[in-house]
Amino acid sequence: MKKKLWALLLALSLTLSLAACGGNSSNSGSSTAPPAESNQNTTSDDGADISDAAAESDLAYVQGKGVLVVGMTDFAPMDYRDADGKWIGFDADMATAFAESLGVKVEFQEITWDYKVMELDAKSIDCVWNGMTLNDEVKAAMDTGAPYSLNAQVLVVPTEKAADFENLTTLEGLNVAVESGSAGEDAAEALGASTTAVAKQADALMEVSAGTADAAVIDLLMAGAMIGEGTNYANLTHTVNLNAAQGLESEEYGVGFRKGSDLVSAWNEFWAAAIADGTVLETGTTYGVQESLILE
Amino acid sequence: MLSFFSSAEFQTVLSTLNTGFVKTLQLFFVTLVGAVPLGLVISFGSMSRIPPLRWLTKTLVWIIRGTPLVLQIIALYYVPGLKGVHIWSGGESGRFTAVAVAFVINYACYFSEIYRGGIQGVPAGQQEAGLVLGMTKRQIFFKITLLQMIKRIVPPMSNEIITLVKDTSLARVVALQEVIWMGESFMKGNQGYAGLVWPLFFTAVYYLAFSGVATLLLGKLEQKLEYFR
Repeated sequence: MKKKLWALLLALSLTLSLAACGGNSSNSGSSTAPPAESNQNTTSDDGADISDAAAESDLAYVQGKGVLVVGMTDFAPMDYRDADGKWIGFDADMATAFAESLGVKVEFQEITWDYKVMELDAKSIDCVWNGMTLNDEVKAAMDTGAPYSLNAQVLVVPTEKAADFENLTTLEGLNVAVESGSAGEDAAEALGASTTAVAKQADALMEVSAGTADAAVIDLLMAGAMIGEGTNYANLTHTVNLNAAQGLESEEYGVGFRKGSDLVSAWNEFWAAAIADGTVLETGTTYGVQESLILE
Repeated sequence: MLSFFSSAEFQTVLSTLNTGFVKTLQLFFVTLVGAVPLGLVISFGSMSRIPPLRWLTKTLVWIIRGTPLVLQIIALYYVPGLKGVHIWSGGESGRFTAVAVAFVINYACYFSEIYRGGIQGVPAGQQEAGLVLGMTKRQIFFKITLLQMIKRIVPPMSNEIITLVKDTSLARVVALQEVIWMGESFMKGNQGYAGLVWPLFFTAVYYLAFSGVATLLLGKLEQKLEYFR
């Protein structure tokens, strides 16, 4: 008889779990949309962003929980760990100052870069602040603060072969390692390279170093910090500026927030003040990125 | 060579990888502790004499075994939040809980099929003998079938357990910082070291050592159960 009891219990739990599954999948359709929207915590779903955000202030939400969760990856010189394991870097220091200005604590959360929009919408993080290039994907899915830094995509090649790559205007016939989903991937493909997508920019450098790719495309800021003499990639150098090769302007870095978030205006105010009192330039000089900063 | 093992670089990397491996082990043991009993419950469901329950269970097992674990992890972690239901607490602990739940469900489904094979593989004569002796169904299961089933399932379970050790690395898809994530972190830069490739490959030592220990222990268990033939 005990077995019947077990069976019953199992039936119950299975029904519940399946019901939960069913609920999710029908939500993504349209049938149960209204109850989801009436939920206080609803995050921005397609059309409903603006009304939702107006109903609930993102700033109040962050101040309510007392912590600003910054989504980032390990990306020197913007965000990286010092010898004690503490997060430092230009973005990390400025994010700490921003959280202070809001009267909340800062928490750094490493994320998988490809999932940054999902992380933001699911409220696992409150902003993406990690040398993020303001491309179409970012502009479509997030609201961003004013651009704070310039960047370009550069081609990284072994130093002894650098001469072959000078004044290149096309990458056709080259096998180029790029970070999956990065601005560098777009640039390399636009110039006709056959690309190998890897998980991180650092992986792309490893590909070149190991000879499994002819070249890599990474951010200028990162190239400045990670390759050349005195680094682990002393045998690599960067040559072609792919933005110039395509006749494009430099890219801009920005901080991303949820759609319709009032944190954007709070950030813009904070940043203008930080430029005015010299904090931005000072922090930038500490990490050697002062030349790319937008100070106006 | 020896001086390398005492260098600051090696020490830093080792202590970081250790932190990551502790996460890996936590996930491994939580999954095992959750999935071993849950698998038994599911196996009862798929052997039930009540057809709707049997179909329901078999559908669940089909869905879980038929989709990639990595997709289940992503769905379980992000979908509730995207729907406005925040069931996972923030930060690392929320990520760990979500991943652990995904692993427990996934492995319970695989285990349930192994259990089913083990239970149904016990000759019918054993149960008939129990009936002749006047035992109840429950007594027959716990006193006759269960132990013989355990003996039968040890080799296939060992297989799954060894796989689980390595599958824990899938958790890094939602940025759970297990040992491979930590190994990769030195490529990009961590605690003053950048462009180090060896820590990633060095994580293999951890997996090999752990699966070696697991193999030995499971082999011992198999020997202990040898007298039931």
